[in-house]
Amino acid sequence: MTQTERETGPVTIKADKISKVYGEFAALHEVSFEVRRGTVAAFLGVNGAGKSTTMRILTGYLAPTSGAARILDLDPTRHDQRIELARKLGYLPESGPLYRDMTPAESLQFFVELRKLAGGKQHIDRVTEQCAIGQVMHKPIHKLSKGYRQRVGMAQALLHDPEVLILDEPTSGLDPLQIREVRTLIRELGKTKTILLSTHILQEVDAIADRVVMVHDGRLVFTGTREELVKDEGAEKRFYELTGQRAKEVA
Amino acid sequence: MFGVDFAAVGAIVRKDLRQYLANPTGYVFLTLFIATTAAAAFMQEGFFARNLADLAELNKMMPAILMFFVPAVTMGAWADERRSGTDEILLTSPVSEADVVLGKYLGVLGMFTVSLGFSVAHVAVLSFLGDPDPGLMFSTYLGYWLMGAMFCAVGLLASMFTSNSTVAFILGALGCAGVVFAGAEPWAAGLLGTAVLGLLFALGWYVVRAGDVAGAAFAGGLGTVVGLAFWLPSLLPWLHEDGETNRFIDSFSALAVDSHFASFGEGIIRLGDVAYFVGSAAVLLYLCAFLLGRRHW
Repeated sequence: MTQTERETGPVTIKADKISKVYGEFAALHEVSFEVRRGTVAAFLGVNGAGKSTTMRILTGYLAPTSGAARILDLDPTRHDQRIELARKLGYLPESGPLYRDMTPAESLQFFVELRKLAGGKQHIDRVTEQCAIGQVMHKPIHKLSKGYRQRVGMAQALLHDPEVLILDEPTSGLDPLQIREVRTLIRELGKTKTILLSTHILQEVDAIADRVVMVHDGRLVFTGTREELVKDEGAEKRFYELTGQRAKEVA
Repeated sequence: MFGVDFAAVGAIVRKDLRQYLANPTGYVFLTLFIATTAAAAFMQEGFFARNLADLAELNKMMPAILMFFVPAVTMGAWADERRSGTDEILLTSPVSEADVVLGKYLGVLGMFTVSLGFSVAHVAVLSFLGDPDPGLMFSTYLGYWLMGAMFCAVGLLASMFTSNSTVAFILGALGCAGVVFAGAEPWAAGLLGTAVLGLLFALGWYVVRAGDVAGAAFAGGLGTVVGLAFWLPSLLPWLHEDGETNRFIDSFSALAVDSHFASFGEGIIRLGDVAYFVGSAAVLLYLCAFLLGRRHW
């Protein structure tokens, strides 16, 4: 997909002034952004910025206190539309939760049954190859390395070949080699899918993303292309400016 | 039918049953259940003194045994999903909250049914010792199963409140204890009634005011005070005359399992008693689905 197609394509993910308040604490404050079809967007922010809350709202796990979220024009807070959306959306929650007593083969088979996917074996074979988990398919998940567990989580998210992928910190806790492998996989997937991935690692933006959405303290502080983020003084300095931290800390 | 996605429910049931039966802890609980029920049935003076091939001694103890055994089975049903974060995957899959609750419930009920199935060995022992009445055995086991099915719903509801299995076990056991002891002790019926009123007030406010937690807590407190106002007169001697009944206590005594289970132990299957167990489980499961749905408010 070309840059122009990405900039003019239909809006796939839309957050419209979404806020989330827990008691007295406002986790999100009127966050708005759009991600167009075929874009890989990095949702950037330090830990606690509100990234996971936003992703949970987008996927329908949580509802916003106010504002609206739409993916593929479907409202995840409406029961029927959430079910429809779940068929088209792949989601990898933060730290890739899995059933640790199961093997990857059993886990994927469970999700095939849960999603009522016809031709389940073909789906499992496809994601097994895509995520390179063939050699650990019959080992209990709790015995796998963090990198393999993350790949099994990715395989779960890709099982139904979704149009949209939401990945919450997909490279968190991985070693440099594993990070490179996951980034390569995401870049490959980005050729055919719309992806929103959260990260607190600046290098991820350069390595993967076409667009950047940055939040800090639950507020949107930047949305634009990767080039717009880094154009003046470099991504790192800009990141620290936008997140309210002193530039000299960078040095 | 009824909007239930049976394929998804079946997938959750199979997954949960596999997890229970692949885990050594599941077999420890199962063995303990068989050993405890065998001891309650046969290692009692009354069993040999009565010289009858029935499970009357076990019937007396079964509510108390299930009060601990069932929450031990259900404690991780939802608490473990929350602790490990897999609830997020389940609830963002193309399944409804009702399907998830039904799948989880049938999973724990399946595990309980397997355990109860093994305890049918007690009937074989009775057959060896005497000539048990098959109809009585059937109704007795139906009673055990229905009581366990209701306790499974209590335990699942308790598991919804926390991500800690131990806390879920304690809450589940307390919930079951409420309906086990309510028939025997007036104070237990009073306590159960006060807790139910507090919960109903809190949930009512939560529904009407769409997720107002502080308001729900206040409403829960108010419900508790109302419950205490009904209950306390029977505790304070100067507020009532000897022998005077308290309708509040009587009402919640009627919710006790023993009065509804007793007829099954006598070989009688009353529709009202079946409806009590099935209806209670249905109400509790509805509450579970309601609690899962609250994240959308």
